[in-house]
Amino acid sequence: MRYNDKELQALSRQPAEMAAELGMRGPKKGSVVKRRLVKLVVNFLFYFRTDEAEPIGALLLEHCRVIHEEPNSFSISFLEDPERKYHFECCSEEQCQQWMAALRQASYEFMRRSLIFYRNEIQKMTGKDPLEQYGISEEARFQLSGLKA
Amino acid sequence: MKLHRKSVLRFFRGYRTQAPDREGILLKKGARNTSYQRRWFILRGNLLFYLEHQADHTPLGLILLENCQVEPRLGATEPYAFTIRTPGGEGGRAYRLAAENPEELRAWLWALAGATWTRLAELLRPLEAQYRELCQAAGQEPGSPPEDCGSLAIPRTLFSFQELHEHFGKEIRMLQAVHRQFQEASDNGGSRSPTGGGEAGTQQLC
Repeated sequence: MRYNDKELQALSRQPAEMAAELGMRGPKKGSVVKRRLVKLVVNFLFYFRTDEAEPIGALLLEHCRVIHEEPNSFSISFLEDPERKYHFECCSEEQCQQWMAALRQASYEFMRRSLIFYRNEIQKMTGKDPLEQYGISEEARFQLSGLKA
Repeated sequence: MKLHRKSVLRFFRGYRTQAPDREGILLKKGARNTSYQRRWFILRGNLLFYLEHQADHTPLGLILLENCQVEPRLGATEPYAFTIRTPGGEGGRAYRLAAENPEELRAWLWALAGATWTRLAELLRPLEAQYRELCQAAGQEPGSPPEDCGSLAIPRTLFSFQELHEHFGKEIRMLQAVHRQFQEASDNGGSRSPTGGGEAGTQQLC
């Protein structure tokens, strides 16, 4: 599957939702923890060697599970492959919780579900469709059917 | 840079449960080869995938849609042409695409312009704020959006008869439209397969 590396690099340079140096361990057996600069930009997680400007890798944060691991750590795994975990060590429990919350909310799909949920709730409470003003009430991707599994 | 393909492919495949935001045939000019190739495009979130054939399990390629410029291209050799210009300085690309008719062009331009994560975040923020304000005013505990698709159980009360009526009414109209396209295609001797249709819902037929 082709993609333009420069596009990804440009994305990695955008203002990040979260950025910090964390201890990172890949999913392969026998992986060791390495210090990486980890950056959350839109629904992508980039990681850099601490002294380099270009990321070494990127993960798309869709359909993933963020789990708290002891101590001060969390892992990211993807729904169909729960055993393959990317581990991240934070410097404190507080930092860990911040990252977990940010990662959970970074997914496009999560945001879409949230939008549909709030839209529906607001409509129930006010009788008005809050998306009406944007002229997008009819868009298929914002319909309730999007919530069905 | 290593893009972890599995994470992207899973999103692309959508766990076989979720319709993409838009899909259909678009003509794409090759990077080196300057002729247009027919490709099946699938828009999911802020990612645009293109496949050689609709049924392919793996896309040929992927276009990241954040900070892109999408604009129609007048005076191109192909009618209904448009460009997706991606950032990346000199490394960014101008993807030259063309729709097969003006309706498709309009629909794709609209879908692509609204596809970014950034725009979704802009829509979401005020809605979330409004919801919390309403809950506070009503003395109600704010609820949370559902966690993930796999474990959803929508309470029946969420769907009013009106919503169901409209939802299925739309489906019927779309099915009728696609049926008409099939009729036309077979009338024309089956020389052209029907496009993905005007709305994302049509792939529910497949």
